[in-house]
Amino acid sequence: MHQVFESIKIALASLIANKLRAILTLLGMVIGVMTVIAVVSVINGMNKSVSEAIGQLGSTTFIIDKYGLVTSEEQWFKVRKRKDLTKRDMAAIDENCEYCQHVGASSFDRSMTIKRGSDKIGGTIVKGVTYNYIEIATTDIERGRSFTESDELHRRSVCVVGPDVAENLFPYTDPIGQKLKIGKYYFTIIGVGKPQGSILGVNQDNWAITPLSTYSKYFSRGGSIQIFVKAVEYTKMDEAMDEARAILRARRHVKYSEPDDFEFFTSESMMEIYNSFTQGAWLVLIGVSSISLVVGGIVIMNIMLVSVTERTREVGIRKALGARRKDILWQFLIEALTLSIIGGLIGIGFGSAIAKIIATSTPLPSSVETWSIVTGVLISSVIGIFFGIYPAMKAARMDPIDALRYE
Amino acid sequence: MLIETRDLWKTYVMGTETVHALRGVSIQVERGEYLAIMGPSGSGKSTLMNLIGCLDTASRGEYILNDRAVSGMNDDELAFVRNKEIGFVFQTFNLLPRATALHNVELPLIYNGTGAKERLEGAKAALSAVDLADRMNHKPNELSGGQRQRVAIARALVNNPSIILADEPTGNLDTATSEEIMDVFEKLHERGNTVIVVTHEQDIADCTQRIIYLRDGAVEKEVVK
Repeated sequence: MHQVFESIKIALASLIANKLRAILTLLGMVIGVMTVIAVVSVINGMNKSVSEAIGQLGSTTFIIDKYGLVTSEEQWFKVRKRKDLTKRDMAAIDENCEYCQHVGASSFDRSMTIKRGSDKIGGTIVKGVTYNYIEIATTDIERGRSFTESDELHRRSVCVVGPDVAENLFPYTDPIGQKLKIGKYYFTIIGVGKPQGSILGVNQDNWAITPLSTYSKYFSRGGSIQIFVKAVEYTKMDEAMDEARAILRARRHVKYSEPDDFEFFTSESMMEIYNSFTQGAWLVLIGVSSISLVVGGIVIMNIMLVSVTERTREVGIRKALGARRKDILWQFLIEALTLSIIGGLIGIGFGSAIAKIIATSTPLPSSVETWSIVTGVLISSVIGIFFGIYPAMKAARMDPIDALRYE
Repeated sequence: MLIETRDLWKTYVMGTETVHALRGVSIQVERGEYLAIMGPSGSGKSTLMNLIGCLDTASRGEYILNDRAVSGMNDDELAFVRNKEIGFVFQTFNLLPRATALHNVELPLIYNGTGAKERLEGAKAALSAVDLADRMNHKPNELSGGQRQRVAIARALVNNPSIILADEPTGNLDTATSEEIMDVFEKLHERGNTVIVVTHEQDIADCTQRIIYLRDGAVEKEVVK
């Protein structure tokens, strides 16, 4: 044990003795670990905010969609021919599905401009929803109320708007009860949603929803809807989906040998889709940034080779005094480790700082996790050992007589 | 018998040529002896010193040190024997330049796993024995040549080795300092240590009790006083 301390002391002493050299040596390692920590933190942050966004759907809710995930033109032509999902499909599921607690629907959304007199806000996401959608999709209302069955039944021109719409068009007055214009039609505001900020730079607060029946009347006669189902409980998700599937297949006359002509989304399956799209990219990103780690390792190896040669005589003296091969091996290995770990720690510091700066100054989120710091230390130790072992072995194998004579 | 060599050969192959540095050297050294190994350069005295000091093994022949057959030992076994049995004193002192005198003297104790407290006490005692107790926190470049060699002697003593093996210990010192160092060896001998001095200087060799003369890799003659 005291040989380990001895080696660490020697390493620190030689670092202090050659300050400029030490800084240059550490720099490689610092840059390497810093890059990896920053990249990993940004990836972490993105994954986290996406999974939070998807998690909002809730673990007991699933969505039935006409198209599903389309990844090729060929597939698009195929799914386009499917029958639309209708309000009647929704009603059938509501009526016959035992494990479905709530069944709602929404139209596909459109980006529109909303006006109030001469004030306007563009790029607002507008869609029509059933009265129970807000409960199913866990959208929180901050002020006012949500839709009722009667709003939907009478196709009332009422809407719930996102906080951005309310703030932009009604900065000084209470928006509840006020009128605004979506497209060419006037709507009365009955509620304002809670602010949610942005996800991956996409604003989540600029939206407006109306009853589905109203939306169909003004904006999309016909057209498919997305059906939202909340299962009675998490453990009954599969049963609820099976029931809904059977009901839809029967209604849409899908032969038993044919696949479904509609798709399910759950928060889990959406997370899987996100992961399958991004995982490859993350690996490449981490791989590319790891190259600088290898460069850092090579710099350490280089300096250790120089150090071993410079201290040939010291190795000779130590061997003459009884140092075994492993004593010399450890001495130089620990020196390489000390270098790489110090570099790694500084790199973790800088990397975390960069991640924080990215999070505050760009739309990219970032999240520095304990595990990434632990991994950073581990990786720098592994690099220290990997690139330090060869110079250390070179020192350990020296012949004591030759080493003592070395000038 | 502390040291016994039987027909020791050391052969080096240099390209196509074979060079015999030692050609059958047989010597014996008793415990507590003070002797010199003398010879001109190329006589094989350095090679013999390396073999006696367990820095190297012979090509042929036997070397028994303190009832232990050294010939045929591997690197780590030799390191163990060097640590336990041999105290080296070199012509160029061979101190670690960045370490204090105290730390230099501690080194042999580090490699046999002595605890920190005992190590410090042992090193201090060894430095006191060579009258350097007041200089133990100085680095080699803050010490005179004679003081450096005394630090080296303290380092050689610290582990209580069977032999103190000095290779041209006065080669880098002036006459006055040389005498001072030879006095230290004389004292160590009086205390019962076995001291072997390898030298090419007759007046240094004359300080000892017995001189072994080497020439062309073989023992030429022995002179006992």
